[in-house]
Amino acid sequence: MSKISTSDFQKGMFIKFREEPYQIVEFKHVNPGKGSAFVRTKLKALKSDKVLEFTYKSGETVEEIPIFVKEMQYLYKDKEGFTFMNNKTYEQLNLPEIIVGNFKNYIKEGQIYQILIHNDLAVGMRYPKKVNLEVIEADDGARGNTVTGAKKVVVIETGAKVTVPLFIKKGDIIAIDPESGNYLERSGK
Amino acid sequence: MKIWRKLKENPEFLQKYFLREKIIKAIREYFYQEKFHEVETPLLVPALIPESYLNVFKTEFSTRSGRKTSLFLTTSPEASLKKLLAGGIGNCFEITKSFRNGETGSDLHNPEFTILEWYRINANYYDLMTDCERLFRFIYKTIDNKKHNLVYQNKKIDIYLPWERLTVDHALQKYAQISLKELIDDEDKPYLTADKIRHVARKKGYQTSITNTWEEIFNQFFLNEIEQYLGNDRPTIIYEYPSVLAALATLKKSNPLVSERFEIYIAGLELVDCYSELTDYSEQKKRFRNEFQLIKNKKITTRTIDNEFLDALQYGLPVCSGAALGIDRLVMLFTDSVSIDEVLLFPFSEMLDNKK
Repeated sequence: MSKISTSDFQKGMFIKFREEPYQIVEFKHVNPGKGSAFVRTKLKALKSDKVLEFTYKSGETVEEIPIFVKEMQYLYKDKEGFTFMNNKTYEQLNLPEIIVGNFKNYIKEGQIYQILIHNDLAVGMRYPKKVNLEVIEADDGARGNTVTGAKKVVVIETGAKVTVPLFIKKGDIIAIDPESGNYLERSGK
Repeated sequence: MKIWRKLKENPEFLQKYFLREKIIKAIREYFYQEKFHEVETPLLVPALIPESYLNVFKTEFSTRSGRKTSLFLTTSPEASLKKLLAGGIGNCFEITKSFRNGETGSDLHNPEFTILEWYRINANYYDLMTDCERLFRFIYKTIDNKKHNLVYQNKKIDIYLPWERLTVDHALQKYAQISLKELIDDEDKPYLTADKIRHVARKKGYQTSITNTWEEIFNQFFLNEIEQYLGNDRPTIIYEYPSVLAALATLKKSNPLVSERFEIYIAGLELVDCYSELTDYSEQKKRFRNEFQLIKNKKITTRTIDNEFLDALQYGLPVCSGAALGIDRLVMLFTDSVSIDEVLLFPFSEMLDNKK
């Protein structure tokens, strides 16, 4: 195990917090009023999936938990969760829905994803910064809602709904931030 | 994404800006009604108040003949406004830009931000608490006079209820089960050593080292155990900060362990910082020397000390209280925005990204 400082924090990193393994879901720098600097984190417990908040003094050290990344192909979803396969060894493993989180709306069968392994257990997956997905349903004549601006809701190939600008049409490929579910840009037709 | 394209595709950013316009207009109206003078002070100055907890922007002025002088962007208009107060301007306010270097990677900071500062003479921090309540209600009424509750990140805040007033000591007792006195080694020389607070921190499960200052450990308590409870159904005025965090505030006469300073929290956002201004020249000079030493130790950008500010204090700053309010954060509150980037037309981080 290696010691890291708060300045090495990265989203998705796994660390030990009070002797238990956690994943850093979010971190922000805060400078309260008059004084020193801190790093506010949201930590997700690997065992219970509960999220807690903790604020570190800037420069505090924590133990990083070693995680291996395996590239695996997404096969299907069933009651157990999401099944992935290693295309070289044909080994399969299952990620429960709760760990896949919001990404379940943007995951596509047959695609390769990075699965995170700790002690031979799948503990998470690495979200790409953006995913490109096809729009399969769009009201091309929509005028949008004048209060919220010129926006409409379309359905993408995974079945999820995304709010997009009016010029997006059925058949367009759009880039989405899988973490927030926000539309980023039109990436192709 | 390019700024203009973002605005074109996401007109809600413009809507938020239009609300910002209304908020700023309301602030001006409030202070005009109170017969305050609106002043303008320089952003580019040859010297600053030494604040070791802030990093600054430094630049250079050169004359035609090539002679060079260091200049700085102001971290707040405080020094200039106090010079005007010493010069006899009376009650005054300013809405201006301020600059703090290195403040990125946060939803609440932009290196360049908009600040409101106002000073009321012959007033103490209690008078400014009332000012804050009245100002917020005035703005809220002006921009949205129908609703009673303000909703921020699913928290319902009633700003018409009397605001919660809580001292830091009470907050410590209420939420962290410890009193301020139990954290202080020696009441005659408080905050110099940190043995007791370090002991408490260890018992609570925090990591501490011998190099941690009292103030650092206290702030970690505050952020982990107190801040989340502030301003959740009505705004909270949290006041009388430990004197080590006094900055330019005067100490409380009946209890010099604390200073006459308060902050306002609404739905987790820290919006206002206020104090009864320190008018004691020798005390200010002592604190400056301290801060100057800390700046040297921290190896951050050195800055020229504003001696004219000390002169103004020596000449005589009228008894007064002043407050600073982050206007960008206020707009975040009223537009239910999570990040400061959502309420700026030109967020700093996006401008840097677009340059690449």
